[in-house]
Amino acid sequence: MRRDLALAFCLCLATPAVADVAETVTDHILPGYARFSDSAAALGAAAQADCRPAALRGPWNAAFDGWMGVSHLRLGPVEEQGRALAIAYWPDPKATGARQLVGVLAAADPALLEPGAMAEASVALRGLFGLERVLYGPDYAEGSYACGLARALAGDLANTAGAVAAGWGTPGGGGYADALLAAGAAGNASFLDAREARQALFTQLITGLDFIADQRLGRPLGSFDRPQPARAETLLSGRPLRNVALSLAALREMAQTLAPEAAATQAALGRAITLAEKLPDPTLAGVADPSGWLKVEILQQAVHAARDTAVAEIGAALGVGLGFNAADGD
Amino acid sequence: MRPDRRYFLASLAATAALPRLGWADAGGPAFLAAAQDADGARALYGLSDRGEALFRIPLPARGHAATAHPTRPEAVAFARRPGTFALVIDCISGVVLARLTPPEGRQFNGHGTYSLDGAVLYTSELVAEGSAGRIGLWDARRGYARLGEFASNGIGPHDVKRLPGSDLLVVANGGIETDPADRTPLNLDTMRPNLSYLSPEGQVQEVVELAPDLAQNSIRHLALRSDGLVAFAMQWQGDAALAVPLLGLHRRGAAVRLCPPPEAEALAMRGYAGSIAFDGAGQQVAITSPRGGRIEVYEATGGFVRALARADVCGVGPAPGAAGFIVTDGQGLIARVGAEGLRPLTRAACAWDNHLIPVG
Repeated sequence: MRRDLALAFCLCLATPAVADVAETVTDHILPGYARFSDSAAALGAAAQADCRPAALRGPWNAAFDGWMGVSHLRLGPVEEQGRALAIAYWPDPKATGARQLVGVLAAADPALLEPGAMAEASVALRGLFGLERVLYGPDYAEGSYACGLARALAGDLANTAGAVAAGWGTPGGGGYADALLAAGAAGNASFLDAREARQALFTQLITGLDFIADQRLGRPLGSFDRPQPARAETLLSGRPLRNVALSLAALREMAQTLAPEAAATQAALGRAITLAEKLPDPTLAGVADPSGWLKVEILQQAVHAARDTAVAEIGAALGVGLGFNAADGD
Repeated sequence: MRPDRRYFLASLAATAALPRLGWADAGGPAFLAAAQDADGARALYGLSDRGEALFRIPLPARGHAATAHPTRPEAVAFARRPGTFALVIDCISGVVLARLTPPEGRQFNGHGTYSLDGAVLYTSELVAEGSAGRIGLWDARRGYARLGEFASNGIGPHDVKRLPGSDLLVVANGGIETDPADRTPLNLDTMRPNLSYLSPEGQVQEVVELAPDLAQNSIRHLALRSDGLVAFAMQWQGDAALAVPLLGLHRRGAAVRLCPPPEAEALAMRGYAGSIAFDGAGQQVAITSPRGGRIEVYEATGGFVRALARADVCGVGPAPGAAGFIVTDGQGLIARVGAEGLRPLTRAACAWDNHLIPVG
C-alpha cells in the first residue's frame, strides 16, 4: 500500500534580515565596491588626460588595490555578463590575453578605440591584466595606438566596475544588496531565506581563501621540484605578494562583519597577514630556490589553516557548511 | 489499457495474488531522488512532477542515483561510491525487495540501468584494486541473483544507460582510478576516459575518446534522447584556470560534438558538471554545477542558450511538457527552470543528493 506522508514540504515564509548578512553587505561589500568603482573611475579619468604608462601606473595600482578589496566576491552583478573575467582575466595559463594583445597592436584597428567598442572585445584582452600588459610590457608603451588602447581599456574597466557597483545598489534601492538583505521576502528567488544568504556569504569567504592558497600562492609554488615563479599574479608590475596581503585583509574584514565573535578565525587570518607582510619577496620569485619556496609554502599553509578554522568556527556560528553537493564531487 | 485505481485497491484487499501493478499505482511519481534529511537520515524519495514528495524509503547510507524498472514500480537505489549496497525497492509498499551487494573485490559506482524488457539489471562497478570497470548483471526476474559481469571497456565507469528502444548500453568510463578504501584519485596525470557502446553481452560496439588535451576531462554522466542522441557531462581534473567544455553530444557512428560555453561564462561552472538531462522535447539539454552554483542550458544541437545561478544545485530532469527542467539542490529546493528563469516549486528540510531520476 502506498505510504501517504505528511512531510514538512512548504514554500518558505519571509524571514527578517539578520545582522550578520546586513553588516557584511553594508560594512564590507558595498564600501568595497564603492572604493573599487571610484579607483577604476579615477584610472579612466587619468587615461583620458594622459595615457602614457608613467602617468597611469599609479592609478592602475590604486584600481588593483581596490579590486583586491572585492575580488573574493563571486556572486551577483560581477557574475553577470562575464564581468569578473572582464575585470580580472587571471590565471591565464595559455597566455590568451598576451597573444590577443600582440594581435591587437599589430592590427592597430582604430574601431577598437571607439567609445564602447572595448566592451565587445574578448575578456582575455581587457581589464586590469590587459592594462598591466600595456603599462608594464616591454614593447607596447611607445606607440600612439598603445596609448589609445590604454585609454580604451581604462574606460572599459571603469564602466565594468561602475556597472557592478550599480548592480549592488544601496540598501532599499532595489539592487542585488536588497536580494541579500531581504532574503526570504516574497518574490526573492535569489535567497529563499536568511540561511541561504548567510550560506552564500560564507561560501565567498571560504572560496576567497581557497583562491589565495591555490592560485595566488599555489601557481608560483608549483611543486618543490618544479617551482613556477613565472606563474605569479601581476608579475609584470611586481605586486604578487601585495595582492595576497590585501586580499587576506579584505577577507579578514569580511569575516569580522560576518561573525564578529569568531576569534580563532581572526587570529588565524592575522597570522597569515603578518607572514605575508614580513615575507621579503614581493614578486614571490624566491620560490625558485628551496628556502624561498618553503617560506612561501609556510604562508600558504597559514592560509589553509585560516580557511579550515573559518569553516569550523564561522560555519558553526552561522549554522551553515560547505554545500552538500558542492563539497562532494561525483 | 490500465484498469482504474479503485479496481486495484479492491483487488489488493481481495487477494494475495497481486495483479501486475504499474508505476501509476506507486502514486505516479515523476522522479526519484536520494536525500539527506534534516536529522541526518538518508532516504530515497518519490516525487511528483511538481516536486511534492509522494513516498519516502529509508536508505542505510548516502545514496547517489537510482534507476527505475521500465514497467514494474520497482527502483534500484544506489549507494554513493565506493558503493557497498544497492536496494531494490517496491515503490508502492516501500518494501525492500532485494539488497544487492557487489561480489568480493567489486564496488558499485552509483549508477545502473535495466534491459529493455526489464529482465536484467546492469550496474556500473569497478574492481576495487586498480578501478578496472565492470558491468554487473543481475536477474531482475528471479530475485536479483547475480548473473555475471563483463568489462566496461575502461577505468572507473560511472553512469551507464541503455539506448532507448534497444538493448545497447552506453557507459561513461570516467577514467579515474581511485584508492580502494576511499575516493582519492590516483591517476590524474595518465587518465583516459571514454564513452563506450556495449552489446548486452559486453561486446564493444563503438568507443569515443576525446583529444589528448582533454584526457583529464572525466566523462561521468549521461542523458539519452529517444532517438539515441547521447549527451554526456564531464568533470575537469586538469588546471582549474583552463576553460574546457563540460558538455558533449554524440550519436553512434558520428563525430563527437563538444559544446563550449561562451567566453563570458567560461569558468562559471568551475570545471564541474554534476548532472545532465534533456528537456521533454529533446530540444535542449541542461548541465548543473553545485561548485559553481550554476545551471547551463544548451540547444541539443550544441549552441549555448542561457545560464542561471543557484547555490549547490545538482539534480536535474525534464520538466513536465516539452520545455524546461526541474532542478534540485542541497538546500532542499525543487525548482523549475525555463526561459522565465528559476521558479521555486517546493522546499523540504532535506538536502537533495546529486541526481533527479525520471521515472517511466
